[in-house]
Amino acid sequence: MTLRKIMPDLLELNDGLFVAVTESDLAFKERFLEGCAACNIRASEISVAHALALEPFLNSAILAAVQIPDGVFEPFRFCLAFLASAQQNGAVVRTFTEVTDFVFGGRDLIGVKTRDHRTGKDETIGADVIINAAGPWAGEIAGKAGVSVPEVPTAGVMVALDCRLNNMVLNRLNKPSDGDIVVPQRATSVIGTTSWQVEDPDLIIIPPEHVDRMITQGEQLLPVVRKVPMRAKMAVARPLIARSGTDARDLSRTFECFDHMRDGVSGFVTITGGKTTTARAMAERVSDIVCQKLNVKAECRTRDVPLTSYRSFFKSQTL
Amino acid sequence: MNALTVALEIFRYKPGHPMRYDTFTVEIEETAHVIDAIDLVWARHDPTLTFRRACHHSSCGSCALRINGIERLPCITRITDVCDGKTPIRLEPLRNFPIVSDLVVDVSEFFQRMSATGMTITCEAEDYLPLTVDSFAVADVVPKMVELPENLSRFNRFEQCIECGICMSACPTMATDRKFLGPAGLAAIYQARHKTDDPVTVKHLLGLADGEHGVWRCHSAFECTEACPQAVDPAGKIMALRRELALRRLQRLFRK
Repeated sequence: MTLRKIMPDLLELNDGLFVAVTESDLAFKERFLEGCAACNIRASEISVAHALALEPFLNSAILAAVQIPDGVFEPFRFCLAFLASAQQNGAVVRTFTEVTDFVFGGRDLIGVKTRDHRTGKDETIGADVIINAAGPWAGEIAGKAGVSVPEVPTAGVMVALDCRLNNMVLNRLNKPSDGDIVVPQRATSVIGTTSWQVEDPDLIIIPPEHVDRMITQGEQLLPVVRKVPMRAKMAVARPLIARSGTDARDLSRTFECFDHMRDGVSGFVTITGGKTTTARAMAERVSDIVCQKLNVKAECRTRDVPLTSYRSFFKSQTL
Repeated sequence: MNALTVALEIFRYKPGHPMRYDTFTVEIEETAHVIDAIDLVWARHDPTLTFRRACHHSSCGSCALRINGIERLPCITRITDVCDGKTPIRLEPLRNFPIVSDLVVDVSEFFQRMSATGMTITCEAEDYLPLTVDSFAVADVVPKMVELPENLSRFNRFEQCIECGICMSACPTMATDRKFLGPAGLAAIYQARHKTDDPVTVKHLLGLADGEHGVWRCHSAFECTEACPQAVDPAGKIMALRRELALRRLQRLFRK
């Protein structure tokens, strides 16, 4: 709900449907409704006929449908809006700039060495505190500081169709699994996703069978999927926190903040895990911790202050 | 997996150094898109290569460039559609934008112009499905009317324009008038104008379109509409703005 308040212009707000396709899905319904109630999410079961009237390409053999508040954002403009707002408040954003190393003062981190790939220029930037928010690269960055974080880069394949078959976000009414969601956006529907651990988040080779699985699973929700040409297929890595098991589906989608004082390195904090939708909350958590370290007393305002236009991000991008 | 051997001839530029083209040869799966080949070059051959990309499915518009001289989104352009197996695939930055580095252009002025139009990126959705980018039906999928949930007054969706800048690069007028609002800006003015009946806003928007660098500068080449990956039809919208402006002038004339 916070995102609706701070970025209302950047959302398609069309609600979502969780639908039962199998008896196993149907058996999950009560647990799902209880979970929504516990989280104060307004969930209402609607008739199959009503669900089919709302979403005419939905599998007509579904057994149940639950409507929830839901929406879709564009990740790119979502990020730009946050970055533009940060710039407006004094931040400097250095795109195309790689962290090549850290500057140590004893065991403490006191700076970052960078290379701007637009110019090839190397630079050293001093810092009171360094926050590692490198997503699936957070483990690699932490390694440069001689510490580790329990993060596993985990990729997922998504398939974008050449037309939009649904207005609402469609989900399987069950525990998370491969190909259990069809996210509409603009004039496409995107089927997602698989989940497997990868060594190198820089280059993810899409396994063809994962694409086939998206189509097969997508058909369970929208039977016409196979008749629609594919517009794009993609895979990116998410930073998941490894706390239990090794199966990628068992890894937590939660986020954690690691103050590397615990490793004997001061001035270095990692925030990782989470999902795009929790990005603001992650920033609040890590900012609170950094404020505490720097003895700054300030309330986080990001849950209330609307973001500035994503378009203004580019104002300061000239070299 | 059937792999192809593909050569990419990529425009290179770093401030203070002369421009050049570098050729890279990569092995890539035959169903891959051009952006996958660029990623491969960056990750395996040359990490100093700079380019922009985010969504990989024609939603963000950030990867736009010229492939074999034609403006395209590499995220939805299949390798096999642009590779003849003999000549390298040539990749170059968009035209009519200042070049920052390699395939990266400075889009700041473009986004300032888009801001000036006041266009929001969401609009009301059509009352049928499926929606397609180019409005042509997908074979064997018959459009169906949709009902609305009781708690929603309308379904909404993002505007078709993804602000990729492809139309600005393809536009011959942009090459002669750098202050031209451009196809994307004028199409945005058209969209914003049709979202409002407020006379003050309409007057402001039509005033922008009617200005020195507005719709009358367009040479009617229609290159923008040809190149647009989202079927926004900027040229059609420029012509529609011209019609409305001409009609208003006539109305004013006869009122006098």
